[in-house]
Amino acid sequence: MSASEIVIRSSRQHEDEYLKKWLKEPNVLQWFPMIDDREIDDAIAYWLSFIPIGACLTAEWNGMPCGMANLYIPIYKKISHQCLFSIIVGELYRNKGVGAALIEHLEKLAKEKFQIELLHLEVYNGNPAIHLYQRMGYKEYGKQYRFIREGNVYIDKILMQKRLI
Amino acid sequence: MKHLPDGYDIRYTVDEDLKALRDWLLQPGMLHWFPMNSGTELEAALLGWIGFCRFQASLTASVEEEPCAIGTLYLMPYKKVAHECLVKLIVAPKWQRCGIGSSVMRNLMHLAKKRFGIEICYLEIVEGNPLEAILQTLGFTLVAKQDMYFKEDGRYFARLVYECILSEQPFLRGQ
Repeated sequence: MSASEIVIRSSRQHEDEYLKKWLKEPNVLQWFPMIDDREIDDAIAYWLSFIPIGACLTAEWNGMPCGMANLYIPIYKKISHQCLFSIIVGELYRNKGVGAALIEHLEKLAKEKFQIELLHLEVYNGNPAIHLYQRMGYKEYGKQYRFIREGNVYIDKILMQKRLI
Repeated sequence: MKHLPDGYDIRYTVDEDLKALRDWLLQPGMLHWFPMNSGTELEAALLGWIGFCRFQASLTASVEEEPCAIGTLYLMPYKKVAHECLVKLIVAPKWQRCGIGSSVMRNLMHLAKKRFGIEICYLEIVEGNPLEAILQTLGFTLVAKQDMYFKEDGRYFARLVYECILSEQPFLRGQ
């Protein structure tokens, strides 16, 4: 698969099933704050609540959704020029350029449709996606220590951002 | 430590404190330190803020029974992050620089640890907020500075994130 074969389009409401499937794939939830079905459903509902304003993107390969990304457009005017985003790529489609294509389109959408000047993300220490974010120009601006706790294991949260303008 | 005013007391926040909270936020210059503007943004933020009083996660300080400050623990909805919480603090303009902010923060950190088992408290503030000095005194450390986060009248201001590991606080040890 090459990046030119990936189609990026606006997400649709029924795509919660894909998000849920990808979140429940092995070793995925360690990179998210959710731990069980109730929390996953809550997070998905919040994610999909941005579909009506056109802030969610889905990547397709051969007509099959293979990844999604979302802009959490702020409701307050004073911070409406900046935006946090989330991204997920299905296990079968990793390391094929899907993540990079989603982020590229998301940046364009953020800039052109929502006049976003600053795009940022939160990623847990050790997540291999950090390398992709670095390649895409995201720089660390802070770190919240011991942000995630599973039993006696703590993981730091790394904060990264990129200026679009 | 500054001498607190006569008649100073701290209790759990109640729904009725919303009026005082709104009054303070609408005083000149106060909203600069918060992400919301007046109007519908402020009303939505007030409901979210005061809502934590139902979990007894918010404290109101008063002088002669008149509210003068509110500090609130924004409890996290997910289990993996339930050991930490975002804190919001506001001191009525006329009662600032009297040691009240520091007093409320100490009581709030105690409440966080004892009642909710919180291990880490953090605050997000606009750069230049006088609260920064209080946080540094209380052992908070700056863990993130995000330039350009706030934009007001065409000017940008950074977001500062301060956090405190409660077990490392001398005044909370053994509690």
